[in-house]
Amino acid sequence: MGLPRLRVPTSYAGAACAILGVVLLMLPGLVWAALGLELVALAFWLWARSLPDRAEQLSRWGWLRRPPTALWLAAALFLALPELRLVFAPVATGPSGGPFSPPTFVPTPLPLARDPMLFLRTVASLAVLWAGLEPMAALPLSRPFPDLTGPARPVGPWLTAILPVTGFLVLWRQAAVWTAAPLTREIAGLALMIAIVLSALRAYSRRSLTATLRWLVVYDSALASLLVARDVVHGEIAALLWLGSAGGRLIALAAELRGQAARRGANLTRLWRLAGWLAGSSLAWPLLADAGFSEHRFHPVEFFVLAAPVLLASALWLNRVVEAPERRSMVRREDRVPRVSRLGAVATLLAGPASLAWARSQGWSVTSTAGLVAAIPALLAWWPLRRLLPAPETRQAARENAAGGPRDFALSTFRAVTVIERQGAAAIATVARALGAPARDLHSGDAQEYLLFLVGVAVLALLLPLLR
Amino acid sequence: MTFALPGRLGPWAADQLSGLVPLLLPLAALAAAGLIRRAHARAGETQPWLDAAVVALTLVPLAVVVAWPALLLPARAALAAGLSVALLAHDPRDLPQTEVALKIMWVLAAAFALSWTGDALLAIASGSARAREQWPALALALDPYALWSSALSLSLMAGLVLLGGAPFHFWPGDLFHGARAHVAPFVAATLQLAGAAWLLRHLDGITAFNEAAALVRSLLTLAAAAALAGGAATLGYQSRPERRVGALVSLQGGLVLASLAAAPSREPFADHGGLALWAGHLLLASMGATLLSRFLPAAAGPEERASVLFRRHPWSGAAGGYALLSLAGAPGTPGMYLWLDVARTLALNRRPGLLFGVTLAWLAAFGVAAFEIRRAFGAPDGTPPPSRAVPRSLRVALWTSCSSLVVLLWAWHSRRSG
Repeated sequence: MGLPRLRVPTSYAGAACAILGVVLLMLPGLVWAALGLELVALAFWLWARSLPDRAEQLSRWGWLRRPPTALWLAAALFLALPELRLVFAPVATGPSGGPFSPPTFVPTPLPLARDPMLFLRTVASLAVLWAGLEPMAALPLSRPFPDLTGPARPVGPWLTAILPVTGFLVLWRQAAVWTAAPLTREIAGLALMIAIVLSALRAYSRRSLTATLRWLVVYDSALASLLVARDVVHGEIAALLWLGSAGGRLIALAAELRGQAARRGANLTRLWRLAGWLAGSSLAWPLLADAGFSEHRFHPVEFFVLAAPVLLASALWLNRVVEAPERRSMVRREDRVPRVSRLGAVATLLAGPASLAWARSQGWSVTSTAGLVAAIPALLAWWPLRRLLPAPETRQAARENAAGGPRDFALSTFRAVTVIERQGAAAIATVARALGAPARDLHSGDAQEYLLFLVGVAVLALLLPLLR
Repeated sequence: MTFALPGRLGPWAADQLSGLVPLLLPLAALAAAGLIRRAHARAGETQPWLDAAVVALTLVPLAVVVAWPALLLPARAALAAGLSVALLAHDPRDLPQTEVALKIMWVLAAAFALSWTGDALLAIASGSARAREQWPALALALDPYALWSSALSLSLMAGLVLLGGAPFHFWPGDLFHGARAHVAPFVAATLQLAGAAWLLRHLDGITAFNEAAALVRSLLTLAAAAALAGGAATLGYQSRPERRVGALVSLQGGLVLASLAAAPSREPFADHGGLALWAGHLLLASMGATLLSRFLPAAAGPEERASVLFRRHPWSGAAGGYALLSLAGAPGTPGMYLWLDVARTLALNRRPGLLFGVTLAWLAAFGVAAFEIRRAFGAPDGTPPPSRAVPRSLRVALWTSCSSLVVLLWAWHSRRSG
């Protein structure tokens, strides 16, 4: 008698893997994080292989194995050498001289010193950084993925937005691993700033709201990761600020796919507009204050590089979230979507200010000048710059025939950067292939050739000691 | 050689089991080989029992060698290699396997000839044929550098060839491509173990002569770097799944070389039961992996439908996949502990360059194994599974290797946490 076969539908198996993966990413251990990212990659693979266009989908999402592999590498290094955890830990050289004088610490050594432990610890930190940055579209190889819909048909447009979420979770939960090594903060800062600028530009250049929201989740995740990298506020507070902003966009994206539920009715639309703006501004505000006014002086380059995308993203949100045209003659009374949408908006509205209040209670403070100047980009988004942005055009024909202008500039900037990055990567791959081709051609599989190899190595073994 | 197994078993049970682990692995491999042999018996064989008896009689001594590598003195290593070649060549009707036997014999004969020449020159220079007595004699500096250094380099050649690291990675590839699934893992494990034993015996007591130790370190570092980098580079180029298994096996030789380069007089994997358990793991992991590779399509893409094994018996396929992942050192497998052992040895002996090579090779191995398993599961196309099932004995063989590896994982894990 045969046992009945248990067959789990692929969509459910993928969803279970993805949910479990995201849950594991919230745990502190590196192994859990690697397993979590592996499960998210597995979910995408399960979904992709079940679609009719599986060949294209599988190749499109194949890169998702790279981040978990990087995390496995870091986890393996710590498993093999547990003492690596102590390498960049600050070491107290003497006791504190009372409550107001902290103990003195030995400065962290540079990775180029001859101790291999320093090198390995830096490699582990860079691997974690890679695993966090790549799903956030902050590395060249995977930059354009938020433009694409995910491989599961009903929720595909939303699915892609969970990848930056995984990237932020890695960077936040593993911050102790990657921020300790020298230069990693600087590398992360540079990559994240580029990602913030490009994601804001791309969000602006996309006409569809769903694609714009996906890019805004990337933008939020990169901003929050920069908060972690610069150690502006505690990691938990950065995560709450991110949750308010990116969570709001994710809810809005889900609602957009459920009949534009976030934009039904004038009041609800206004509420969402205010909530998303406030959450985004709360996330950007401490970062702008820190980047522009750290060490008691003004840093114009850092401030303006961050302020421009903040202004653009805020203006985008205010401009794009407009009331959807009502085509239904009658709304069903049992429809709970507007109520859920309202709840989401209220949560989004409260998350940012509440997180900032918590940060203040924890001792975080900002000078009045820095606070005022840092608030300007988000405030400017209300007026008059918001009116410079073209209103969203819902008709397909009008979308396709619309004139370009600033949007064309944003699009061509983004494309130029991605093309340069892709060509750089292709050039490196070509050089590697060119170098590897002769080695490959060496081996024909002939038995005579094996003997020649042996003779060659024997001659080399005879010569090498003499050449020492 | 015993392997300490602390845990909650109680002292007597732990003692009994610690001695049994190195023995259990070859026994499990023998059982798996018997099952595979039974499933692959040819329909037209006139005397199937005779062939089975010949194979069994040859596999048992090889299993003994794997369980007790201390038996492998240099002369016995050559004997074990000869026995392996004889096993491959025993059936003249099996042309691919016979061709592999010829190729391996061709190279091994020359390698042994070179090494024995080196041994003879070392004996002339030092006045002794025993490695432990040679180094103090050479340390007196009575002989010219060119003589003993050339002799030492030549004497290691057989060990390098037997370990199968690049540029000698061709024989594991040929072996797993051409030889039958129950024979190839035994031959590979025996030859690689013979190579490791050859090198260890030749380096016995070399720390008594610092200059020779430094020379050996340089040579082994070069050999390990070539084995790891070459193995990682060729892994992606292999055209057939069987050859990919061969490339993974050649990387295991690279691991031994890296470990010896860091500490020439220390037995590799000493923290994990030494060469006995390394060879036992290699035997079982390559048994499962090579059996799995016979079911994989040679050139199908990941978007094509799964092979018969994975469509009819996906869990058995997953068991084979575990063996493949273990061979690649993937996380959660016993193979991971071996890679970590080498990484730790290299780091503690301050060899960051080789450690980088191990990292590169591990990334390539893990990536290729994961891709191979994804390809094996293929993509569902809605067609019903094929009516013909995969023979039960082959599936049991896959489960045998997988469960033995899980036992090994448990043993190593409990030892680490203990």
